[in-house]
Amino acid sequence: MSARIAVPVFPGTNSEDETVRLLRDCGGDAELVHWSKAEELALYDAFVLSGGFAYEDRIRAGAIAAHDRIMDYVMEAARCGKLVFGVCNGAQILLEAGLVPGTGSGRKPTAAFAKNLPEPHFVCRHVYLKLSIEPSRSAITAALPHGALVPAWAAHAEGRLAAAPEHLKEIVEGDHLAFVYAHADGGVDDAAVPNGSALRCAGLVNREGNVLAIMPHPERDAWNFNHLDRREGADVLAPSGGAVLFRSFVQAVSATQASHPEPRPEGACRRTRASE
Amino acid sequence: MTERAISISLKIPDNTAYTALVALRRLGVDVARVERSEIWIFDDGGDVRALTRRIESDETIFNLHKHRLELLDRCAPRAGEVWIEPLCHPEERALRLRSGQAPRASRRAKDEGERIGIAWRLFGADGAPVSRGLLDMAAERLLCNPAIEKVTR
Repeated sequence: MSARIAVPVFPGTNSEDETVRLLRDCGGDAELVHWSKAEELALYDAFVLSGGFAYEDRIRAGAIAAHDRIMDYVMEAARCGKLVFGVCNGAQILLEAGLVPGTGSGRKPTAAFAKNLPEPHFVCRHVYLKLSIEPSRSAITAALPHGALVPAWAAHAEGRLAAAPEHLKEIVEGDHLAFVYAHADGGVDDAAVPNGSALRCAGLVNREGNVLAIMPHPERDAWNFNHLDRREGADVLAPSGGAVLFRSFVQAVSATQASHPEPRPEGACRRTRASE
Repeated sequence: MTERAISISLKIPDNTAYTALVALRRLGVDVARVERSEIWIFDDGGDVRALTRRIESDETIFNLHKHRLELLDRCAPRAGEVWIEPLCHPEERALRLRSGQAPRASRRAKDEGERIGIAWRLFGADGAPVSRGLLDMAAERLLCNPAIEKVTR
């Protein structure tokens, strides 16, 4: 049995289907887990929090979901070294929960994806994420080449990394800045940033490298039909650039699971048996 | 110039306030009711009635069919209430200046008013506003993200 990946569904999540589909296309054994069945999360080896508007973004984007029972499991699993990957609203939840950059204590967030600037509006724009850490810094990015460019769609109103200067310094010095916005040629400047994000940040990783949060959606640029420059005549379901990050994640999940062939006994730290 | 704080709340059921109530209870904050409102600061020009009429006719911030307007006695939270106000970090200030916008977070009332933040008012089972300690707990555990917001008590 291959490593099992859970895609938790909160009320208001809306990108779960394409997320599961891409994970499966990349060889992952992915399933949706409803918010009312949080206890089932103990059966999974890794977690992908997908985009949407969990709990309608009430109070703040990701604030209620960050305190949901689902996140109790996810946080415990992350503590045990399981891989957690959040996209868009999933990333907002991870920041609200304090899992990334993870420089605070407990569930205390030290950064947030705040309202876009200079225009505080929803942005829907094709972007490129440039890997700005050594690939091996995170298991999730380990299969990517150095400085990899990942095409994706930014679709958010609250995607601007915001934090106090001392916390931004921690992000830089702690090597938490996993992805920055870039142009198609890999160039990095403010014009590539769709939302005024501090440090041109598109994604953050925690200290241990097992939790990654990115704002844009690579899963929406994962097949030819939803790539920015649709290649005429090509198979509409041919893989597109956004799939590379998910493929790297699935490889990491499989590798992690293979390195723990015996299941741990209890709760969120339990791993599925490689031979099952 | 006379600064006047205005609270604009829903008179229809407030789903967000209810969600906050449920979440706060789950987080161990013992509250029985949560009220939420937007806080605006206006210059009333010495004529409160005129100000009230002006706000009630401004459909960008007030809908007569679903909103309730309340003039506060002073520009500060009431008993059992915290105001959650957005922080403006240096990065944001610089970005706003570069794009020709005025830096935010000045609390000077302007003609068009200024939205200060969200007020959360918490009540206990006895119907009375909750204590300062409980308010602090609610702000710390859920209502405020200290990375981007500050609490005014």
